[in-house]
Amino acid sequence: MFSKEKSKNIFLIILITVLLTMVIFTLSAVAGEAEKDLNFYVVSHGGPADPFWGVVIKGVNDAAKQFNVKATYLGPEKFSIQKMVDLLESAIAGKPDGIVATIVNFEALDEPLRRAIKQGIPVITINTSDPRPAAEKIPYLCFIGSDEYLMGVYSARRMLEAFKPNKPKRAVIAIHEPGWAGAEVRARGMKDVYDEAGVPSEKLDTTVDPTKSYEILRSYFQKYPDTEAINTVGPMSAHPAIKFLEEEKLTNKVKMGAEDLTTIIVDAIKRGTCEFTIVQQQYLQGYLAVEFLSLYNRYGLCPVESVITGPSIVDKNNVDLVVKMVEQGYQ
Amino acid sequence: MVKKINRFMNFVRWPEFGALLGFLSIFLLFSIISTNFLSLVNFSAVFTVAAELGIISIGINYLVISGEFDLSVGAIFAVTPMVLALLVNTGISPYIAFIISLFCALLIGFLNGLITLRARIPSFVTTLGMMMFWRGILLAVSKGFPISYSSNNKVLLNILNSRVLFSGMGVRMSSFWYLIIAVIFSIILVRTRYGNWVFATGGSKEVAKAMGINIERVKMINFLISSLLAGFAGCVSLARFNIVDPTLGSGLELEALSAVVIGGTFLSGGYGSIIGTFIGALLIGMVRSGLVLAGAPAYWYTAFIGIILIISVAINAKIRSMVLGE
Repeated sequence: MFSKEKSKNIFLIILITVLLTMVIFTLSAVAGEAEKDLNFYVVSHGGPADPFWGVVIKGVNDAAKQFNVKATYLGPEKFSIQKMVDLLESAIAGKPDGIVATIVNFEALDEPLRRAIKQGIPVITINTSDPRPAAEKIPYLCFIGSDEYLMGVYSARRMLEAFKPNKPKRAVIAIHEPGWAGAEVRARGMKDVYDEAGVPSEKLDTTVDPTKSYEILRSYFQKYPDTEAINTVGPMSAHPAIKFLEEEKLTNKVKMGAEDLTTIIVDAIKRGTCEFTIVQQQYLQGYLAVEFLSLYNRYGLCPVESVITGPSIVDKNNVDLVVKMVEQGYQ
Repeated sequence: MVKKINRFMNFVRWPEFGALLGFLSIFLLFSIISTNFLSLVNFSAVFTVAAELGIISIGINYLVISGEFDLSVGAIFAVTPMVLALLVNTGISPYIAFIISLFCALLIGFLNGLITLRARIPSFVTTLGMMMFWRGILLAVSKGFPISYSSNNKVLLNILNSRVLFSGMGVRMSSFWYLIIAVIFSIILVRTRYGNWVFATGGSKEVAKAMGINIERVKMINFLISSLLAGFAGCVSLARFNIVDPTLGSGLELEALSAVVIGGTFLSGGYGSIIGTFIGALLIGMVRSGLVLAGAPAYWYTAFIGIILIISVAINAKIRSMVLGE
């Protein structure tokens, strides 16, 4: 239809138009915030693709609206400590009025966060804290989150309870993000309880890809058909596990425990595929962080040490209470 | 008037022209829409990100110009500092560990070259397989946990990547390494006989052979350059974070290729520029920080970089056709 030359030009024009549209879109999102007097960055290791962090982001955005501040959530598309620190460096360069960060790895985050604090930027941590003793750890204002180790402990204990008076012959701990400190600490909590109870347990890397996850689980169960318990550490390991148990018709033989909440997990609890889930109310982690930074900037007020948002257990007994909130993105 | 056009065409003829144009336009854009973009802190942040990416990109650039690929650079970027950290943690001197780890990187590059050239498997496939292999080794050795560099002797790390100027906001050593490497490798490519051989090997194999160039040796050297620079960049990254986690460098191979392509190098081989790649990596670093400072939500980043990549290739191709009169 068009000559080769013309097609190339038209193609180029379309691409540049798309780019300009994205820029204008970003600009308009930014322009509306111009009147806000406070600007915060929430830098987390969790990316926009993880439903768990979707709830945190909602908390951040709701609080930003409520307190009339600007809060931008930053997270790498795929789990990457390096990319998270790069985002943090850019955030610090923006001279914000406050930074919220997850201490996914205290060594990598130590230098940039200390530098930010030295420059007078208040820092609050959420979700994963600095595990070092008070004298060594990063001097952030406070930590908002759950106790990861306890989450693992509650998870394994609740699983054992479901088998009483027997014990599961074997338990597998499905981790979708090996290397993420939170998952490893939860897994350690689970393993400690299982070891004490004499139940053989093993960690399994199921990756963040649901198809791969399914196949990895299938291979594992083929190798260890006596496995009777699956513990997952987040929705990205739970969803494929739920699908796997139902499609392979293992729901009567194998009990499953999850962590965190999504509509899929809630439905699975109702159906009986999933025995329970451990929640940490991550909405509060996003919401309270923005609230505390606003109060600190305006009035110098902030809670100290830790504000603990979990763990607590959701199972068949109380799942109906949370269903609606999960659908709306609050839980 | 004709003289003026000719002089302008001289600039357009630069292989780096497209990259420079793109860089300046995006620089201008972000200066307007992003708060605190024009600040020393931000420039150091951009350079810090660009340095690690850029060093790898320069290494890959040689290979691409000579007609091959290396998709294992992201894995080498993680394996090399892992070796360094593990050796240092057993008590070996950091400097010796550094040499050994770089040697390991060279070994991986040598393997890449050997398999590609002897077994005549496309380098794309060889290095893809190697990437997956080494990623698996990383996970198996680290068991998912980050490995920490636990020596008290921080001199090596300081040489590699400490903050040196305007302490607190400062520019890191990695920026200087990046500049030095870019200058050295650009000179080699553009002013030495070896550089000519690289272009010839990628441009036309038959002509190169007829000229008496040992194509296999050129490509093998380029595989070594690629893996060495990737390994060096990995050690620089270790110096910044003090840890190596198994996901380090994941996806970096594609970002490095993007920097190379944005910089004006043709994926088909035979044409390219180190300075262009230098600019390309800076551009990618600048886009990330510019978007953060503009308050753009995290969802947009890869989309932006993807579109910029396609546009820059299209513009580079258009400029090329303008210059060569096709």
